[in-house]
Amino acid sequence: MKTKLRTSKFLLLGILLISLVSLNILIVSGAAQNTYCAERTTNGAWCQNVPLSKVDQNFRYAPTSCESTSYCKLGTCVDSQEGTCMENTPQITCELPEEENKGGVWFDSEVEDVPQCNLGCCILGEQAAFVTQTRCKQLSSLYGLETNYRTDIQSEFACISTATSKEKGACVFEKDFEKNCKLTTRGECDNIGEDAEFHEGFLCSSEKLGTNCGPSEKTTLVDGKDGVYFVDTCSNLGNIYDANRQNDKSYWEEMIGKEKSCGFDDLNGNAGSSTCGNCDYFLGSTGKKYSRGDDPVKPRFGDYICRNLGCEYLSESFQHGETWCAPSSEDGKNLPGSRYNRLVCYNGEVSVEACSEFRQEVCIQDEINGFKTGACRVNKWQDCSSQSNQQSCENTDKRDCTWTTLSTENDDDEENKKVEVCLPKFAPGFDFWNPESDAESLCSLGNNQCIVKFEKGLLSGEYECTENCECLDGGWAEMQNRMCMALGDCGVAENYLGYSGYNQLDDLISVAEYHEESKSSSSSGSSKGSAFSSSSNKGSAF
Amino acid sequence: MKKRCSSSDFVINKRILPKSKFSTRFSTIYQLDNFFSSKRSQITIFVIIAIMIIVIGVLAYLFLPKIQTGFGVSTNNPNVFIQNCMSKSLSETIEKISLQGGSLNPGNYILYQNEKVEYLCYTEEDYTQCVMQKPLLKNQIENEIKQNLVSGKTSCLESLKKNFEAQGYNVDIQPGDSNVEILPGRVEMNFQNVLTLSKDSSERYDDLGAVTNNNLYEMIGIAGSILNMEARYGDAETTVYMNYYHHLKVEKFKQDEGSTIYVISDRNTGEKFQFATRSIAFPAGI
Repeated sequence: MKTKLRTSKFLLLGILLISLVSLNILIVSGAAQNTYCAERTTNGAWCQNVPLSKVDQNFRYAPTSCESTSYCKLGTCVDSQEGTCMENTPQITCELPEEENKGGVWFDSEVEDVPQCNLGCCILGEQAAFVTQTRCKQLSSLYGLETNYRTDIQSEFACISTATSKEKGACVFEKDFEKNCKLTTRGECDNIGEDAEFHEGFLCSSEKLGTNCGPSEKTTLVDGKDGVYFVDTCSNLGNIYDANRQNDKSYWEEMIGKEKSCGFDDLNGNAGSSTCGNCDYFLGSTGKKYSRGDDPVKPRFGDYICRNLGCEYLSESFQHGETWCAPSSEDGKNLPGSRYNRLVCYNGEVSVEACSEFRQEVCIQDEINGFKTGACRVNKWQDCSSQSNQQSCENTDKRDCTWTTLSTENDDDEENKKVEVCLPKFAPGFDFWNPESDAESLCSLGNNQCIVKFEKGLLSGEYECTENCECLDGGWAEMQNRMCMALGDCGVAENYLGYSGYNQLDDLISVAEYHEESKSSSSSGSSKGSAFSSSSNKGSAF
Repeated sequence: MKKRCSSSDFVINKRILPKSKFSTRFSTIYQLDNFFSSKRSQITIFVIIAIMIIVIGVLAYLFLPKIQTGFGVSTNNPNVFIQNCMSKSLSETIEKISLQGGSLNPGNYILYQNEKVEYLCYTEEDYTQCVMQKPLLKNQIENEIKQNLVSGKTSCLESLKKNFEAQGYNVDIQPGDSNVEILPGRVEMNFQNVLTLSKDSSERYDDLGAVTNNNLYEMIGIAGSILNMEARYGDAETTVYMNYYHHLKVEKFKQDEGSTIYVISDRNTGEKFQFATRSIAFPAGI
């Protein structure tokens, strides 16, 4: 007897194992049959996992994932001429022998492990770039500069901070029996002539130098700089425009840095100031030619002013560089077809950056010292419906869900039915029009059944509702619909443009059957509105 | 029969008009009318107009070299001739390529504002990072421009030959390829043909070509950086680039089915470079 039992146990276990293995084989072979690694697809894309119908069979292909092929392995492509490195690149696109194209060099490793892609600080005149050594050589040669590459600087911020303007000064030289002057570097001054004298840090308007250049009321803009600058009578650059010091001879003597100039601490970068040209792009201003329509005041001297780069959007002011969120649809309802948007204010213009469609991304926003920053991030709604308690439901590290109490909103407390559920904080969108969509199955999570019990009166002989009577009220159906809508594009709703969906509330309520018992009758089947009804709410897709 | 209004009609009318602003104006017309009726005066006017036309023509010829060939006036500088002949097609090709993600005939593209925009980093799958499609973007764009201008180059060399032969030159053009280079602030097309012009003496030109000012070099560099971000994170932050390059505007437009269009434009010149990516796409549902 015992042996028989043991044998049957082994048999069962064996059958289970065999079925598991065969199921696995089926899944694997099924997957392999479905997708191929195509070196090139019919629409010209390289190295994609696609069905056979999309494979360009003139190129290599195999019924496996591209990760496991040799011909579509991803690595790093180095352009040895330009010194750039591109990630996630298949060998074929890197070394493509397209006519005269000098192909790149492909490495079977991540960009961090390719020595040619190590970054350093490249000093390019008064600017700096955090690039590879080859790139630095290329850029230096293109701009006609000597290569100055520093491997000791290992961050982009430190690199850019290193970029300082070359020491400039007044270069004084004789021309046509006059003492002329040019504001330049020492190197350039030496090229002017042997008799040229370089005075580091001095302006050409300096009285000490006794040149033919002097102060003027003219101002100008300088390429690569934000501010407005004075210009002397010889068209040489002076210090930052400061109307209060135009007549101050000492202001025309030596070069004064930005930090020691007017309005350095101004929080708006002197935007719209008629007297100070110490503009700052990062604080929201830059030097521009004065325009009556764009600038509030006219500069006291010259034609240039620090222009405010902030934006106006829906009667609200935003600072230059601020980013913020726009709700997916009015009143924050996540209506079908809507998506979250991030708005960006730069250079006085507002641009809209949409987050992913189907509300698979939401926009989040924060504010530090009144400066708004918004960003799109993934909407983690997928496992909300499987959470059974508030703590796990509202664990924001893992998911974007909310523990919700839904009620029929009936004034009569006794009749008020409350349901506690975990629902997505940001209802996702579904492609319910697509036959392959999982919208129906996701919306079916909102399906519910309410059994209404009726009892026949002994004297009257009429049926009276005794249990779950609130389900007969329209409030229950509305409550169920609110839950459907919170699940995603389910239930009855208008889309973000105000058009109604396929269903009306009545379409979502179906009545099952009814059983007549000896003394009481429980609802089950009849049309809606009849006395004996058990309503079942169907979470249909929008 | 309709009577034509002659100058004498004005005179008659003038006499019956009361003295007012109108009468003063008519009196001026009357004086001019007398002036124009004199033959000597008419000749003087014609001579002045002729001198003015000649002066304007000479000034235009000296200071506006573009007009020289544009109006069919021949030039005796082959470099200027080729520059004038090629510059329009060079600029147009660059503009078209820039709006189509660096391709003249995009294969794997998305339609955006009626433009076929090529995917430069693409994945067919959802939730996965994109695969770089054109890692050597600058080289590939240079090659596309070159290919598109082959016929333009041939016709320009032919018209150059005709132009100089009409001026009595003996023209010899050695066959040669061409080279396109995208450089900071400009795009250069250099012909590798050698041109020899002979008349009384012989002149050799081996640096024929055309140049157009364009910021494509900088934009391609930024596109490369965005593509690396997309390949790694499935997204790129546009404001980073606008902080470094104040004159550039970088915009991101998310499309359907997980695609993204990036548009890099120069605020000063209006030049644009746009391309598409598809990386870490989220489908609807789970």
